[in-house]
Amino acid sequence: MTTVTATLRASLADAVANRNSFWFQVSVMIVNDGTWIVFWVLFFHQVGTLHGWQTQDVIVLFSMLMTSAGAALGLLANSRRIGHLAADGELDETLVLPVGPLSHILTSRIDSANMGDLLFGPVLFAAAGHPTPERAAVFLLGSVAGSVVLVGFLVACGALTLFVGGRGEQADLGFNAILIFASYPLDLFGGATKVLLFTAVPAAFVTGLPSELVRSFDPARALLLVAVAAFFAALGWVLFQLGLRNYSSGSIWTR
Amino acid sequence: MTPYLAGWRLGLLRTLRSPGDLSVRIGFFAIILVVMSALWGAAIDASGGQLEGYTHSSLLWYVFAAQTAVLGVRPRSVEEIGDEIGGGTIAIQMLRPVSVVGLRMAIDLGEACARLAVAFVAGAALTWLFAGPPPSAAALAMAAPAVVLGAAANIASSHAFGGVAFWVLDAKSTWFLYQKLIFLPGGMLIPLDILPRPLEVISLLLPFATMAYAPGKIASGDANPLLLLWQVGWLAALVAIAAAVFAAGERRLQVLGG
Repeated sequence: MTTVTATLRASLADAVANRNSFWFQVSVMIVNDGTWIVFWVLFFHQVGTLHGWQTQDVIVLFSMLMTSAGAALGLLANSRRIGHLAADGELDETLVLPVGPLSHILTSRIDSANMGDLLFGPVLFAAAGHPTPERAAVFLLGSVAGSVVLVGFLVACGALTLFVGGRGEQADLGFNAILIFASYPLDLFGGATKVLLFTAVPAAFVTGLPSELVRSFDPARALLLVAVAAFFAALGWVLFQLGLRNYSSGSIWTR
Repeated sequence: MTPYLAGWRLGLLRTLRSPGDLSVRIGFFAIILVVMSALWGAAIDASGGQLEGYTHSSLLWYVFAAQTAVLGVRPRSVEEIGDEIGGGTIAIQMLRPVSVVGLRMAIDLGEACARLAVAFVAGAALTWLFAGPPPSAAALAMAAPAVVLGAAANIASSHAFGGVAFWVLDAKSTWFLYQKLIFLPGGMLIPLDILPRPLEVISLLLPFATMAYAPGKIASGDANPLLLLWQVGWLAALVAIAAAVFAAGERRLQVLGG
């Protein structure tokens, strides 16, 4: 068993140690997700079609978002906390271990509530996303690529704290921005905003492009998605490694 | 100076002295306005220029005030209250010769006032940029007290909701549910007038509509003073409910030896 797998297993065991609490939080998140679905159903009931998007398209987008965000924020919960951990000097406990620091940090905490997203996303797709073998395969590919983009982006934003200081505000703003933009159909945005979503805040690669691939598969766009996922994974890793050179111990062990 | 006024001042100054947190919130607010402008602009276009009486401009001014009122309050305050009760910190607060819930709400309101002031000015400027001038000067002027009343009602309601932790110690995730009550029946995501009629009626009967819908409706051009009265009425009721929940909870905590 690799170190990463062992750490992830230990984190999962820790998260489900209190079964009632775990399932309560999962259930609350599922209800939370359901509220968004209700919003979109009501919205499209009133508006009809919006730039070619209908209720079922948004349901696929949300299934994708829940699955990607569930993996990134549930299984790898520390991905959004890198900046806070750095600001509070809490990287010490990882840096003394004989393991890759980033992989250990990412796998060492599971967020029970976001596991509800990870469970509900695929169920929603299976129930309302008109799954066929091809659509399901593209959904899986899109969700994995979307998760990698999200984790890479959040780690990169968190690593900025190691360069410019602060209390992790860069990661908070990046987190809010990418999740909000990823929650809405890509075709709503035009001009500079759309350019932003394909570059600095890559929400288009978390939900927009993957859900378009589910609707209409295109091998060239699928390759682009995979390449972008690899780029953001590398970006997050490189920025974190470079940022570590600026890290000062929080002296957590001596307090 | 009364302890509650001192608490309010403490909250206000503490927030004003945290520019990092304030700048993140303003950045977040700007993103929301960009997204909502795109969403509702497309929706209005698809509906022939009007949606249940809202134009693109009036709808964006609605979004501005509804979002300002909600963003002024810390989103996880329900969770924080639950943590303090569940972790026992509340027992220390009970040693002070003042009402625990009263002082907490005063501090939270001070923090909210600082955020609201910044968000109102920045949000109004951005909305003006996206949607043009407000529907009327009177509506914008009335929206200012409306967002404060909405945030105050939200704070009181958060305490009533978070006080559940006196009985259900693991109330950590309930803030998600509370937040969604403000999103939908509260009118933050979608004006209540746009909902199907039965849902609109139910939502109007609930207190959450005073926290987002009322300020939004006023800013959209409906400068009706009765909307402010509606907010004041629910605010008084919610403060009384929060006080009653905490009083009952504190008695229970003492019985358990906390």
